[in-house]
Amino acid sequence: MNHQTHAFHMVNPSPWPLTGALSALLITSGLTMWFHFNSMTLMLLGLLACIMTMYQWWRDIVREGTYQGHHTPTVQKGLRYGMVLFIISEVFFFAGFFWAFYHSSLAPTPELGGYWPPAGINPLNPTEVPLLNTAILLASGVSITWAHHSLMEGHRKHVIQSLLTTIILGIYFTLLQASEYFEAPFTISDGIYGSTFFVATGFHGLHVIIGSTFLTVCLIRQLLFHFTSKHHFGFEAAAWYWHFVDVVWLFLYVSIYWWGS
Amino acid sequence: MYYKFSGFTQKLTGAWASDAYNPQGLRPVVSTEAPPIIFATPTKLTSSYPAYDYAGKNKVPELQKFFQKPDGLPVHLKRGLPDQMLYRTTMALTLGGTIYCLIALYKAAQPRNK
Repeated sequence: MNHQTHAFHMVNPSPWPLTGALSALLITSGLTMWFHFNSMTLMLLGLLACIMTMYQWWRDIVREGTYQGHHTPTVQKGLRYGMVLFIISEVFFFAGFFWAFYHSSLAPTPELGGYWPPAGINPLNPTEVPLLNTAILLASGVSITWAHHSLMEGHRKHVIQSLLTTIILGIYFTLLQASEYFEAPFTISDGIYGSTFFVATGFHGLHVIIGSTFLTVCLIRQLLFHFTSKHHFGFEAAAWYWHFVDVVWLFLYVSIYWWGS
Repeated sequence: MYYKFSGFTQKLTGAWASDAYNPQGLRPVVSTEAPPIIFATPTKLTSSYPAYDYAGKNKVPELQKFFQKPDGLPVHLKRGLPDQMLYRTTMALTLGGTIYCLIALYKAAQPRNK
């Protein structure tokens, strides 16, 4: 019997949830082996298994949606809920690090000198590279909006150009942040200032890399004609994620770079 | 004005005609080969599809036919050999790694002789 009489997607049995969960075990126990027993094998094995799982799982979703037509409007609604809830969970993830920053910086202890930035810390000038980075991410928000409108209007060439622009801006941000990390006069082990600075900006940088990767996948799919002017949820999910990354940076910039300097 | 029952508020709320005519979200298809319709629509999708412009032509309709073959294969093995190789490699790494992990954790849990 070939025809389902409902709008939902009953997926084929898949091995990826199992391999994904096991790769998480390998990564975490691999971290333990790295920290305590000076061996990176387990962790690298776990990272490799994780990357292979992600590649195949998302490849299968593209096959199910674009090639097999399973992503009806009802299914797409579920996917939208899923992405929104995931981004909300990421907001809470960052909220923790902002909490830590404000907890320590609003009431600096005597050990820090009673003021913020603490004694001995020379913070980065917020009007130099950090301000440029802010402009870069804001511009990338404009270019991705341009990409979306071009997609909805069927301008294939513009979608490719604007998506490429967004990705290049993301890479530019990452490179500038990396050079800032190298040049910074303080390190992660320089007290609570160093910890809050590098953990918060570090996780943000990781999310920029993830977002840029997601956008690159969208660019490849656009080149392969996967998106239509009415149905392109993968692109929308990437755009939502990218705007989230941008907003987190704005909070980082205002709180840590500007107010905290 | 169309209405639908909101499961969330347990009341009638406004709805679009599309919800009334397609409550499950299924749209009627013109033919069983629905997917080509999307790309064949000549409206505003693109002004022109010059096949020589951007790295090849649109292969999606043939891929759709390929992936919809009723051969009983699950989607992660649909392409045959390359899919199988990748699956087996992933599973081998994962299961092998898990065994290695359990052994390493067992050894790590042994007390060190002083």
